[in-house]
Amino acid sequence: MERAFEILKWFVLNAVFIITALIFTTYLVLTIFSAISLRKYLRKNSYVDYNSIVSSPLAPSLSVIAPAFNESETIIDNIRTLLSLYYNNYEVVVVNDGSKDDSLEKIIKAYELEKVNYYFDYRLPCKRIRGVYKSQNRSFKKLTVIDKANGGKADSLNAGLNVCRNDLVVSIDADSIMEPDALLKMVKPFMEAKERKVIGAGGVIRIANSCEIKDGHIQKINLPKKFLPRAQVMEYTRAFLMGRMAWSELDGLLLISGALGMFDREIVINAGGYHTNTVGEDMELVVRIRMYMVDNGLDYDVVYIPDPLCWTEVPSTLKVLARQRSRWTRGTLETLITHRKLFFNRKYGKLGMLGYPYWLMFEYLAPIIEFLGILWFIFLVITNSLNWPFFLLLLGFVYFFAVSLSIWAVLFEEITFHKYEKRRDVLRLMGTAFLEPIFYHPLVMLMSIKGNIDKLLNRNSWGKMERKGFGKN
Amino acid sequence: MASLLVFFCSAGDILAQEELSPDTLSQDSTMVMGDNVAKVVTTSVISYAQRLQDRFTKSPLLITILYIVILYSIVTLITLLIIILLNRGRMQREEKQKTYLLEKYQLLLMEYLFEEEMQDKALREIERIANNRMNRQVLIDQMIDLSVNLQGKIKERIQELYLRVGLKRDSLDKAYSRKWHNNVKGFRELAFMNVRDANNKIIESLNSNNEILRMEAQIAMVRLSEDNPYAFLDLLEKPLSLWEQVTLHELLIQHKLKVPAFKQWFHSENLTVLIYALEMVSWFKQRGVGKEIIALFDHENEKVRNSAYKVCGEIELKTSLPAMIKKYPVESYANKLEILLAFAKVPDARYLAFLKMVLDTEDDVQLQIQATKAMENTDEPGISMLIKLMKSKSEYKNYQIIIRHVLDGRIY
Repeated sequence: MERAFEILKWFVLNAVFIITALIFTTYLVLTIFSAISLRKYLRKNSYVDYNSIVSSPLAPSLSVIAPAFNESETIIDNIRTLLSLYYNNYEVVVVNDGSKDDSLEKIIKAYELEKVNYYFDYRLPCKRIRGVYKSQNRSFKKLTVIDKANGGKADSLNAGLNVCRNDLVVSIDADSIMEPDALLKMVKPFMEAKERKVIGAGGVIRIANSCEIKDGHIQKINLPKKFLPRAQVMEYTRAFLMGRMAWSELDGLLLISGALGMFDREIVINAGGYHTNTVGEDMELVVRIRMYMVDNGLDYDVVYIPDPLCWTEVPSTLKVLARQRSRWTRGTLETLITHRKLFFNRKYGKLGMLGYPYWLMFEYLAPIIEFLGILWFIFLVITNSLNWPFFLLLLGFVYFFAVSLSIWAVLFEEITFHKYEKRRDVLRLMGTAFLEPIFYHPLVMLMSIKGNIDKLLNRNSWGKMERKGFGKN
Repeated sequence: MASLLVFFCSAGDILAQEELSPDTLSQDSTMVMGDNVAKVVTTSVISYAQRLQDRFTKSPLLITILYIVILYSIVTLITLLIIILLNRGRMQREEKQKTYLLEKYQLLLMEYLFEEEMQDKALREIERIANNRMNRQVLIDQMIDLSVNLQGKIKERIQELYLRVGLKRDSLDKAYSRKWHNNVKGFRELAFMNVRDANNKIIESLNSNNEILRMEAQIAMVRLSEDNPYAFLDLLEKPLSLWEQVTLHELLIQHKLKVPAFKQWFHSENLTVLIYALEMVSWFKQRGVGKEIIALFDHENEKVRNSAYKVCGEIELKTSLPAMIKKYPVESYANKLEILLAFAKVPDARYLAFLKMVLDTEDDVQLQIQATKAMENTDEPGISMLIKLMKSKSEYKNYQIIIRHVLDGRIY
């Protein structure tokens, strides 16, 4: 028995080390690819004059779809921001997803809307559309508002896809703030496409907590004052500037954030639109449209833009963060299960051989392995059989490597977009890199475990995101 | 750092004993507390370093790897922290210097361009300041910014100043550099300053595999060519992306360049060039190309045919309508839509029967709407036909909702 226990101990210890080493090696490789990709992007785009497409008649037409649910407080300003983007050929489709507050009434009043005889068909399944509204005021001619029965975000996006008419669609959270030139930057890859069709593009989402916002525009960028959102800044910087950038370079990008993404409308519709039975509709869609292209023998690209394109408010309380992370975990799991045939499937190239296994191993399973490691650690402590020195050595290895990765991310941010102008903000961000693995990461890991439990218990709610509202920080 | 040291000391001891009991740590701690702390720390550091060196090669592989990674991480971390802070300082200094230079150059350039008597003095001062690469680059950028918005003699004077200060050498060096991003910069500068010395290199880059370099070479060729700015299209082997097309189009408009007869590229083997030529015919409403465009309805490439239908609508080519009717049944969805859009732009009551047939037979919303719009655009005959349809009760189709949508003036 004792011998068996010793073997188990040895196995777990080595397994934990191997998995950790594998994860870190992957991160290191991703960092290198991300650096290459960033350098390429910055060089390429330092000569670009985006103004040439602002009013060009050749530029593709876009439909910006913004689902809104109970956003009466901010909806008027948010629509105003959407209507004032730098692009000529676009429409804004706001989908009121059966809001229980006075969102619709407010929009109707502010933008002088009237119900119109809009003809469309339900090419994609969605809840009943009660009406389509347009304004008689020509200043708001770009705006279309759909009023529909409540069905969730994915359902609203499908409704928007049914009604909109343009070649490219942009999905955006109505409570996010888009950079004025975001559409120009996002549409560029679609316009550059030659032999390979670009089917989707995503960009960096930045955190707006503590930023100064006026009339729906970011006036001054500040690092969040509270630790929790600040740790998320660190996390987002790492994920967007390192992870996704590298995956884009490797052609294995599986996720375009739901906060902002641009897609080829026909491809999305032909692939079946957004799935309404998942809380991770953004990831699920990207995976599905990629599979659709492969299944139909079409060459394609999914592109990622490292420019900060959109600002969003992140949870500032543990309760809301827990709900969000539970949803993310459930969404990831649902997508991984739905598309399990991708796993090491050569037919799907890098998507099947690299992207999917990475998400399974390192994004989905990593928190579970970590959690099991903690349980094992507690067990060893209780049974007084922990090799403390070796444990501390492993801990040091994990901690310092994690911090150095975060500092790499800060460096990438500094030499690329340099959004935090105050020296104090950068110092605080670096300080956060040291604290995050101790005070933030374990929480996120536990929230991810909760997500798995929620999934097991069939708790599938979206979870309410309580926002303080921009400008009220 | 102190805790780190203690941690390493402990780890070093551990390695010596293969398996360390928790007692070891407490024994060490008691000893440290008992003695003079500074002395113990110094002794520990020295002895640890010696033992580390001794045991490093003997330790198990796993421990060695962990040590290496920890050391690597700490070194990286410290290096990155220093780089970030130094970089910030450097960027701020550069920004300050750039702002100073821009202000200074702006003033001097104004003097040089607009005050005859100050010209020599301004030139001497510019030459004095532009004495290193960075300062010269800021000057070139400033001159380009200025020349974008200027025309005629003043623009020529900027170009003359560029040559007098010897900035041409800098641009040529960049144009012939081995690095593509320098080439791009060089091409741009030479094109703005109307210098043709690197034309061979630019022509060579027209078919480069690097798309940015290729595009910049195209732009430079357009800017540097006086008679036929689009001659390079004949040399282009690579596809011309929509992005490149937009950039070239903007160039044509902004710089009021001579617009060529785009039909000359209707037979281009490069299909993207052909499509671009069609787009330009449509944009500049070039006439007398009806026959050539109608001939393209039989082109094997779907996108070419799509552009041909589109142009017919844009330039209101009535003679193309019967040919489009013939093509309609065999066309793809996108091309059917384009044909109907063309009919909406070239309204003709003679073809109401065709449009009604489309409305009756097609199930797609977009096709139905476009057919109805085309009918509506024929004015009286079309509208009365639509009203009649609205009143009729078809078993197969609810005409009412389609026609109401089209007739609703609030839907743009």
